[in-house]
Amino acid sequence: MAIVKMSKLSLIGLESDKGKILDTLMNMGVVEISESSEKLSSEEWKDLVVQDGDSEKVALLDDKINKVKWAIDHLSKFASKKKGLFSAKRSIDTNEYNIIMQNIDKLSSIVDSIHRYNDQLSNLKSERNKNTNLILSLEPWQQLTIPLNETSTLTTTILTGIVPQTSSSGKLKEDLISEAPESYYEKISDDGQQEYILVIYHNSCEESVLKVLKQYNFSKVSFKELEGTVKSNIDRAQKDIARIDKECEKIENEISNFAQYKDDLEILHDHLLIERDRVKILDNLVRTSKTFYLEGWVPTELSEKLKNKINSQVECFLEITEPDKNEDFPILLENNKLVQPFEAITEMYSLPSTKDVDPTFLMAPFYCFFFGMMVSDAAYGIVMALVTGIVLLRYKLEGTMGKMIKLLFFCGISTIVWGAMFGGWFGDILPLVSGGKLNIPPIWFNPLDNPMRLLIWSMIFGGVHLFTGMGIKAYMLIKEGKPFDAIFDIGSWYILLIGVVLLLVGGTLSQVGKYVAIIGAAILILTQGRSNKNIVKRLLSGVLSLYNITGYLSDVLSYSRLLALGLGTGVIASVINTLGTLFGFNAIGIILLIIIFIIGHTFNIAINALGAYVHSSRLQYVEFFGKFYEGGGKRFEPFKKNTKYITLNDKEAI
Amino acid sequence: MDWIAYLFNGNFLALAGAALAVILAGIGSAKGVGLVGEAAAGLVTEDPKKFGQALLLQALPGTQGIYGLLTAFVILNKIGVVGGTYVELTTQQGFYFLAASLPIAFVGLISAINQGRAAAAGIGIIAKRPEELSKGIMFAAMVETYAVLALLASILMVTGIKL
Repeated sequence: MAIVKMSKLSLIGLESDKGKILDTLMNMGVVEISESSEKLSSEEWKDLVVQDGDSEKVALLDDKINKVKWAIDHLSKFASKKKGLFSAKRSIDTNEYNIIMQNIDKLSSIVDSIHRYNDQLSNLKSERNKNTNLILSLEPWQQLTIPLNETSTLTTTILTGIVPQTSSSGKLKEDLISEAPESYYEKISDDGQQEYILVIYHNSCEESVLKVLKQYNFSKVSFKELEGTVKSNIDRAQKDIARIDKECEKIENEISNFAQYKDDLEILHDHLLIERDRVKILDNLVRTSKTFYLEGWVPTELSEKLKNKINSQVECFLEITEPDKNEDFPILLENNKLVQPFEAITEMYSLPSTKDVDPTFLMAPFYCFFFGMMVSDAAYGIVMALVTGIVLLRYKLEGTMGKMIKLLFFCGISTIVWGAMFGGWFGDILPLVSGGKLNIPPIWFNPLDNPMRLLIWSMIFGGVHLFTGMGIKAYMLIKEGKPFDAIFDIGSWYILLIGVVLLLVGGTLSQVGKYVAIIGAAILILTQGRSNKNIVKRLLSGVLSLYNITGYLSDVLSYSRLLALGLGTGVIASVINTLGTLFGFNAIGIILLIIIFIIGHTFNIAINALGAYVHSSRLQYVEFFGKFYEGGGKRFEPFKKNTKYITLNDKEAI
Repeated sequence: MDWIAYLFNGNFLALAGAALAVILAGIGSAKGVGLVGEAAAGLVTEDPKKFGQALLLQALPGTQGIYGLLTAFVILNKIGVVGGTYVELTTQQGFYFLAASLPIAFVGLISAINQGRAAAAGIGIIAKRPEELSKGIMFAAMVETYAVLALLASILMVTGIKL
């Protein structure tokens, strides 16, 4: 319903009690511990205190957390059950948690083993690669029977190498024999691009042999480090690969044996996370050699409870005060269950500042209303409400995700209502398929028959929305003790705008409207320049302020999107239906109809729900919030047990 | 000269209007969606998990093409090309339809491209601060307002033409 009131908390305690106090605060999870760094620079404090904190330990824990996280991700490859799109955190009993935490050493060693095994795996893999590469490079030489380490005899040299295959490469042998008769040439193999050759020559004719070889772009290939024949080398490499594969399999098996510990590791991860947060928060504290000081915020209604709890456990100086009038405190929104999902929309814009009112409560019904009008197909609404309803029942969702799904559920219901009003049920599928016999008539009217009528209604709805926003501004001004500002700035616009609307209605109301509008305009001219001392300037800026009416005009016109997007849904739906029924009502036609129907309408729901979400938000942000809302609040982030995988069922938490 | 008679045939002009709406708005959307796609592909190479979010942004400039098709469909429906009886239009009526298609055709073309630019910039938001995705969506959606207004103008014109 509103922004939760916060009280300021400052606490001075003994260093020896620090652990206990922080534990209590963390378990309660209702206090935001803010930075005390300003104390470090203040004249009174700076000689007395130093900043607390243990960045080394934080880094150490962060490192551990990353290792555990990595192990969990690695193990999840072996996990039998796959995670769904919406996964809720597991809920763990404190007892169970404590039991598992007793085995913390064992779990840590498991994490280490997983890392070690993984290192082995990568070593083996690189060894395997080496062998495969060796086989690839040896393969062309398979026919070579001379051992590879034999590169010379007493009087001859043995050369192996490659020459690029060209039209003239066949002549290499002839040239060699004619230039250097004491030589032997053999082609081992070729792969279409190069020839793999063996040349043996007497050392006396080395010069002429090398000259010939150079002509043919010979490049030497040597396997000096290998012993034995090519064949035996390939065989050995293949055996190695087989052995490595077996070892890899064994290690993978070992790792997959750890998969059963994945749940426990998740608990370890969260345990470390909590530990890390506990150490990290010390950065926000200041201390002397024997005492420490912390300050923060606590919701006012919980402050008494907190005070009693801390005082019952330790001796310390604890003070809870109201914030100064202009002091900004962290923002926590509190709304009833129906309105709560819409906080996601407010948060997306910006949290309210301490001077704002929480707009969620007033914005929610409009959001829902506009969303429904833009989608405006009852069957689409049913699909949306069903899908989100099932997701809500099956998964316990938290945070923004949960809020968004709930929001879509409410909007789905609104869509059903508007769809029934306009007579859209998957567009016009019913009359189309039944040949006009079956038809659900609209409760109100079909917008396609009379778009002008709905356009006017859209603007009326928009007007109500805008007037509500202006009303909130007036309320805020009155609360701030500026009732005259409320009357002059908002009241006069109310009068002028109502007058203009009446003027447009026609008939006798028009006459009334004319005078109402003139009164409104007169008040505006007289009051809008009131901050100016000079009477001429004052009137001039009063007259200028009338120009703002264009702003209101464009605001109201902006609501025409309600009609446009609503029409859009209906027309696209009927395009899909027409496409589907093009093939007639024989067997193939009906199958095609079903396929087109499912794909087409799924697409249409998705694109229109996205459009409605975006444009309904825009109407709130630009038109509605623009009238009164400031935003820029800082979120209340209490010091508590933040977890990733599990939730602790803890009785101490509030 | 037969072809001049064809050119000023009412039905031809109405069909030309419907075609223009689809062609221009479609070109705009194709270009806009392509722009975002290029940026999104770069992001996904770095972080494949962000595919879904990036796709959401990429879908945004696609609506103009749909609006064009929608306008064309309303025109075709009105002159009886799809469903209903075929209506012979006078040259004057044909020009009315042609004029009615212009808002969504041209505004669709330009706004889709610019919306694509805004959405492509939004990809940067996903890269650095994925939790603020919806703000990126809003920036792109601000551009779409004018396509929506143009669509509205086109539809109101078409439904207002007396046959």
